[in-house]
Order: sequence, then structure tokens, then C-alpha cells
Amino acid sequence: MSPNKHASTLLWGATALGALGVLASYTTAGHERFWANWVLWFVLMFTLGLGALFIVALEHLVGARWSVPIRRIPERVATLLLAAIPVGLIALFALPVLYPGTRPEAAQNHILAGKAFWLSVPFFSVRTLIAFGLCLLGLAVLVGGSLKQDFTKNPAFNVRARKFAPAFMAIFALVITMIAFDWISGLTPEWYSDILGVYVFAGAFLGGLAATTLSVLYLQDQDRLQGVQGDHLYNLGAFLFAFTVFWSYIGFAQYMLMWYANFPDEVIYYKVRLTGSWRVVTIALASLHFVLPFFALVTRAAKRDPKRLRRVAYLMLFAHVLDMYWLIFPVLGTTPHFSWPELSFALFFLGGILLWIRGAMQKGEDMPVGDPFLRKGLEFHL
Amino acid sequence: MSEMTSKSQQSCAVLGIFDTPNALMQAIPKARAAGLGTVEAYTPYPIHGIDEALGLRKSPLGGMVLVMGVLGALVALGGQYWISAIDYPIITGGKSAASWEAFIPIMFEVTVLFATFTAGLGMLFLLNKLPFFGHPVLSSKAITGITRDRYALALEAEDESFDSAAAAQVFREAGAVEIEILPAPDRSPFLTSDFILRTLGGIFAACVVAGLAMFFLTKWFPLLAPMKHMQDQPRLNAQKGSTFFKDGHGMQLPVAGTVARGYLPTATGTQDAAATLVNPLPRTREVFAVGRKAYANRCEVCHGALGNGVGSLTAAYGGKAANLQAQQFRDYPDGKIYWVLVNGKNNMPSHAPYLSESERWAVVHYVRALQRAQNAKDEDLKMVAR
Repeated sequence: MSPNKHASTLLWGATALGALGVLASYTTAGHERFWANWVLWFVLMFTLGLGALFIVALEHLVGARWSVPIRRIPERVATLLLAAIPVGLIALFALPVLYPGTRPEAAQNHILAGKAFWLSVPFFSVRTLIAFGLCLLGLAVLVGGSLKQDFTKNPAFNVRARKFAPAFMAIFALVITMIAFDWISGLTPEWYSDILGVYVFAGAFLGGLAATTLSVLYLQDQDRLQGVQGDHLYNLGAFLFAFTVFWSYIGFAQYMLMWYANFPDEVIYYKVRLTGSWRVVTIALASLHFVLPFFALVTRAAKRDPKRLRRVAYLMLFAHVLDMYWLIFPVLGTTPHFSWPELSFALFFLGGILLWIRGAMQKGEDMPVGDPFLRKGLEFHL
Repeated sequence: MSEMTSKSQQSCAVLGIFDTPNALMQAIPKARAAGLGTVEAYTPYPIHGIDEALGLRKSPLGGMVLVMGVLGALVALGGQYWISAIDYPIITGGKSAASWEAFIPIMFEVTVLFATFTAGLGMLFLLNKLPFFGHPVLSSKAITGITRDRYALALEAEDESFDSAAAAQVFREAGAVEIEILPAPDRSPFLTSDFILRTLGGIFAACVVAGLAMFFLTKWFPLLAPMKHMQDQPRLNAQKGSTFFKDGHGMQLPVAGTVARGYLPTATGTQDAAATLVNPLPRTREVFAVGRKAYANRCEVCHGALGNGVGSLTAAYGGKAANLQAQQFRDYPDGKIYWVLVNGKNNMPSHAPYLSESERWAVVHYVRALQRAQNAKDEDLKMVAR
């Protein structure tokens, strides 16, 4: 119990230290930078939670049995959405600072003037609130219902979840596209890409999967997931592996079309990210988000090796943060900003996220004990 | 003893049939411990843990696929680089000849191609050792059960000294409900002349049958022509003969005394003779819009947007187009301007092929408007004010 307590103290300390830095950066680092950081961590928390919720919904949608024993993990990670909602509400204050579509000058720009209503602060906020509401609905039905089933042992939940899952997929697509278009693409409202929602989805799924994998390994170390073995890990590894390819496929498809067409209003997005120090970040992103995890997980043995899987999951989480940084931070200028404000935000939010997930991991059963398919899931072999 | 030996030379494998997968799994270690030959299992569906029980080595297929996939990527990269950057560099769209972005999709495709072909063909030909006609198990009596609800374990001969009787004994002791001794397969060499002849003959016969069938089907049932596209059109081809006309030509001269629609001959004669022509078009907003568009497309480069003879080509080539604002041209009657449009003048070519009759007269109206705009009278100002 003592190392656990030790880690807890460390986490609280890091979060508190980060909080001080966050407060200091609001007064000294400039509002634009403060809010860029805030939006980054809001989007990160939100995509992690939503990605985990997607994994839960996916299980119900396709009737997967192998993932029943570990379903409680993405369910707990998905509760991160609850923490992301207040962060997102505060992030609404970033709109007039960071988002050109909400500024009065937008009226002079004919592109922005045409979208004035869509980009305006009230409608932007309403859309975000709708997204939050839809997420809460998904959480209530899929996660809340599953937690309740621990006590009721009522298989009716499985039927309800299976019927709700297709609807949730539509909700999910809507919410993640809305988040991508509003909060990320909204930073550069004259640049648009239809595929950005899918790109953010790929990153969110990978992020949620990495968080799930790490939590599974964490609970396995504590002997709390008995019966979960190599084949379950193999499936998580296979998903991670497959979606690194999916992410890079989408990312490259978006880049290549814009590179080929060479329209000034489109390539400017990549021009910024491929010149100067941003070029280094871009190359690092491609290496860490695709090349490295791809080759790390390519063999069959690697996908079921807990040590390897843990490292790749850490890497994927870092790459997901870097991805969001790469999407959001060029709004601040042609050189990447990284110093104590970014570190403070990372400390504060990472500490907060870890505390939240740790807290969630302590509550209730570690497996959905009321699910009639649990036994089948535990017997899963490839 | 001699009878025994001759018997074992004929058999290549012994099958032990089991009723349940569990019985099969329990028999595997016993069969392997006997060490009589290769142990192989035949089951209607994959059984968990059977790979480990049989002690199968890790398949080398994954490594082969990886190597060939990387090779595919490199081949595609190298091939494209050589073609587009070295052998025949053409700059398209302002991109560098060696643009890696453009190579990626094809690299991806070739990687997938090499990898899938390696996986499929490598599995079939390298690992499963095809071509191999008639695996003995396929002609066993037990095969119908194996594909339904029976689980078979085989001890397969590794060399001449295979002892089928001992193998059968091993299975009997392991609880097999049935034993089957399989005869040695006919492992005739693959590419015998007989086989090649038969294969080629078969392909030839198939081609002949398919070709004849297609020929007669489309002949007897012309409506069944699978892809007609636009082969049969009720029109005459310019360069082809036709029975429609008496002289047998598809292409005909215009009938004497007729003019093709929209091709009325116009304004021949001298410019002075054309002075009497009257602009048939009314001065409406639509006519001016047509004139403005035609002027912008055909006249503006030389005569300029204002008609003052300062166009973009003037700057580029130094040619001097007429200043339509000059007194001389303002005094021109409409017909003379029209005549120039049709016939050209000095360096100006004829625009008749590009502008229809009404477009030409609309341009004349528009030129008049340009001249009026630069030399407005008092009443014009009053009109604007109103």
C-alpha cells in the first residue's frame, strides 16, 4: 500500500505544482498562449474519453465477447468525459481570443462573413453544449447501465446497449466531427478539410485504446484482472497496430491531396507546419505516431508482450498529445512554443487525468460481473 | 516379416479417428511420444491450443511477408524515382520531379501487392508444398467425418522405415474409435509432358468452346450483345460510305442555294459599302451584357477595357491597337465597325469565326457605349442623376 500512497502524493504534488504554473502563465505568458494550452488539454481529455467510449460502444455494436472482461476499463476511462466537460466550459472563454471567426474583424473577410453565424460565439457554444449533452447520454446508457448491471445482473442491459450502440455510432461521428471542425479547424477558419473529423477520430481511438491498454496492464500487475491473458492483450495490440496505419493513411491522404492541388488557401496549413522548427515537429509526429509503433508492433509476439505493449501505449499517448499540439499550436505563430507554461499545463492536466483515472479504477468491480457473456469472454482464445 | 515390410512401404500415414476434440487433444502427446513419424491433426474446425499441442513451429510466413512488403515498397520507390526523376523527368504542376509525396500511394499499393502475393503464394507453394495432387487424407474413408464431426490424428511417414502397424497400435491405445491405414499417394512429378499437354489442351478446348458459343450467341441473338455502348447510331459518318445517298457517300455538299443555320454570309464588299448597314439589335440591358462579354473575351486584350487601345497585349508586344475613343472611330457608322469585326483590319484578324451574327452587333453596341462613357454629354449626367 505504501508505494501506492507514494505515487498518489507524487501525483497530487505534480498537479498542484502544475496548477501554480498554469495560474502564473495566465498572467505572464499572454492570453493567446494560455488559451491555446487550455484548448489543447480540453481536446485531449475529450478525445481520450470519447475514444474510450467508442471502444465500449464498438463492443456492443459488433457483439464482441473477448472484450467483455476488460470492458470496465474503457468504461472507466470514458468517465474522463465528465472531467472534460468543465474544462470545455472554461475553454469557451478562449473563443474571442483564439478563434478568428468570432472576432469583429471577421465581418470584413468575405469567407468568414459568410460563416459568421456558424462561427459566432453563441452558436459555437451551443454546438459544444449539444456535444457534451450527447456524450453524457452515451455515458449514461453505456457506462451507467453497465455499472448498474453489476448489481441487477439483468441481461436486459446487453439488449439495450446493443440497440443503442448503432445510434451512438452516429452520435459519436457527429460529436467528434463537431469537435474537430469547431475546436481545431476553427482556429484556421479559412482552411477546411472534410477528412479532419476522421483524422481526429483515428487519433482519439488510438488515444483511448492506449489509455485502456495501460490501465489493463496496470490492473493486471495488481492481479485484479484474473483470466485476462495474452490473447486479450494481443487484440488490444492488434487494434493499436491497425489504427496507427489508419491514422497515417488519413493524415497522409489529407496532406497529399492538398499538396497536389496546391491551392494557396489550403497549402498554407502545411506550409506553416513544414517550415522552420515546425518541420521537426511534423517529422517527429510521423515517426512517433506511425513509424515507431508500426515496427514495434509488427510481429505477432510483440502484440502479446506486456512490456512491449506498455511502452508502445505510453508512446501512443505521447504521440496523441503531440498530434493535438501539432494541430493547435501553429495558431500562435511560425515557431513552436514550448517552455514552462506548456510544461505546467502538462503537469497539471496529466496529473489530473491520472488522478481521475486512478480514482475511477478504485471504484466498484474491475470486471462487468453482471454481464452474462463475461464467462465467454474469459474463455476467449485466438 | 517380408509381408509386413511390403505393407508398410505402401502406406504413407495412419489415421486415428476420435469422437471428441478432447480425446484428440489427449491422444496428441502419446502419438508424439511414440516418435514414429510426423503427427498431424485433421479437424472440422480450429481447436484452441492444438498448435501448441502439436508443437508446430512459428510460421515463417510473417517474416516472408514483412521482407517482401518492404521489398515492394523499395521497388515502387526505386522504379518511380528512376522513371520520374532520372529517365524522363517532366515537371508537372510545379512539383519537383522527385516528389516523394506522389510516390507514396503507389508504394503503398505495391507493398500490399507484394505482401499479399507472398502470403498467398508462399503459403500455398512454399509451406503447403503445392502442387500436390490428391492428398491421401482427402481420399480416405474418414474424410466425410473429418469435415463434419470427427477428429482425426495422423501419423505420417517421414521415410521408408515407417511402421504403420506400430502407429495403428499407438492410436488404438490412445483410444481411437477407428483406425485407417492410408496407401502411399501417387506422387508423380508435376510437369510431365502428359500433364502439360492435357492442361494446354484443356485450356485450348475451353477457349474454342467459349469463342464459338459467344460467336453464335451474338449472331443468333443479336439483342444479347453484352456491351453495345454506342456502336449502332442512326447517323452518317463523314468519312464512310452510306447507302442512304445516291452517290454512296456519307458526306454531302450543301444543297445548292442553302445556307447552314447560323452561317449567313455577311458584310462582303468594302468597308465603305458596309457603312449603310444598320444595327438590327435593340439597345437593351441583355444585348449590352452579351456585347460586354464578347468584348471582354475577344477585344479587351488589345483595345483595353476602356476601348482606348491600351490592352495587356499592347504592353507585352508593343503592337498598337486602334484607340476606339479617337474622333475618327467615334464618327464611324455602326456598319463600319461591324465590317472590321467580320473582316479584320491591318493587324487585327477576322473575328467572324468566333462571334455569331448577333454577338458581333452586340459588340458594336457595346463599343458605342464605351465611346459614350468616355465622352458623356450633359443629358447623360441627368439620366444618371435620375
